[in-house]
Amino acid sequence: MSQSNGNHDLFENLRLELRRGCLSLAVLSQLRTERYGYTLRKALAEQGLEIDEGTLYPLLRRLESQGLLTSVWREEEKRNKRFYRISAEGKLMLKQLGAEWQRINSSLNGIL
Amino acid sequence: MELLDRYLQAIEFWLPKRQRQDIIAELSEDLRSQVEEKETELGRKLEDAEVEAILKRCGSPLEVASRYRPQQYLIGPTMFPIYRFVLAVLLIGCVVPRFLIWLVFLLVDPAHRGYLHMENLWVTVLYFAFFTTLAFAIAERSGVKLEALNTWSPRKLPPVRDPNRISRFGSLFEIAAAVVFNVWFVSLFWPRPIIDLYGAQLTLTPAWRIFFWSFLFLAAANIAIAGVNLFRPYWTRRRASLRLVADGLGAGLFCGLLKAQVLFGISAPSLPAPKAIELTNVINLWMVRTLPWAIVTMLVILSFDVYRIMRLRCVHRYGGPIGPVVKDLSSPMVNGN
Repeated sequence: MSQSNGNHDLFENLRLELRRGCLSLAVLSQLRTERYGYTLRKALAEQGLEIDEGTLYPLLRRLESQGLLTSVWREEEKRNKRFYRISAEGKLMLKQLGAEWQRINSSLNGIL
Repeated sequence: MELLDRYLQAIEFWLPKRQRQDIIAELSEDLRSQVEEKETELGRKLEDAEVEAILKRCGSPLEVASRYRPQQYLIGPTMFPIYRFVLAVLLIGCVVPRFLIWLVFLLVDPAHRGYLHMENLWVTVLYFAFFTTLAFAIAERSGVKLEALNTWSPRKLPPVRDPNRISRFGSLFEIAAAVVFNVWFVSLFWPRPIIDLYGAQLTLTPAWRIFFWSFLFLAAANIAIAGVNLFRPYWTRRRASLRLVADGLGAGLFCGLLKAQVLFGISAPSLPAPKAIELTNVINLWMVRTLPWAIVTMLVILSFDVYRIMRLRCVHRYGGPIGPVVKDLSSPMVNGN
């Protein structure tokens, strides 16, 4: 029982590690269109990439502090929402990361 | 929405001050959107239990807030192994000898074990741990960069250590030190009824003769062993056993000397007779009181000797050492010469 729990925890850790790097790429890619946090989460979930709010918002802040995103508070449907969009620097980074992702993906396809 | 507000308030408490409002506003917006969406789906207001389920899925307030903070540590991953090593050396160096001495006092001289208060020991340990941690935390915080991390080169790393190789320099030093000591020892303590020592006359008991000749014989044996080690610089089981016997005899003799009260009397032109008797008694007493310290030191030396023999046995039996890898297994030690 405890070994099975241990395996599950280990799998969960490794899965999160595997996902972590991919999330930045996915978020940058989705923010080519301006979105606020909740709609961004929904857009990612619709494409099979669930991401909880506790992971997404700190990530958005980090990407913004790195200059890859810009954000603006705006009222929509009578509520203040923070809208994010990829910056020029972010677009360049997305291009480079995308190429790197393709390279890793094709290598892993060969390896696996 | 009371539960939601309470949840946000709890998160807010743990957030970095400057970003609090911004983060809470954004998180609040997301959670309210989730609640609204669920309400639209169900066609009614959510009950407390349903709101609670949404909040529980988000995680505890502390956990959520922690994701907005940069990773923080008192001592970083680069410094930590050094910190742990320094702490271990300090603590072992502080605790083990004192504990051993306390133990030996308890066995040999229980009347005087009060010299070492174990309660003081724990205070000392706490001080060591506190100041070491503080020093490393300050170094980490002030961004001290270890020069060795930038300037290291494989060529500057120490050579592969062979624990069974005997340093020639060590053997030479051992011989030189033993010769110098013996010349001094013989010239000063050559057994005669009264010994002149820097203007004072020491009268020693007849037992001193036995100690003198035994020490001299032992010193000669040690010089011989060191001489062999100089030309055949690998420990063999035979030589390691000889070293154990020599050290064991030396330890026994030294402890015997401390206990034997060999000083019979002291006289000096400016020393009145009653003072001389008192001084003689004090010296003899302190020699006895030094005994537990000597026993601990000797035990440490003998443990090293025993460990060396065990390591050599292991090399002989399994072709590999207990400790670090021995590169040259063709050395004579493997054959047990």
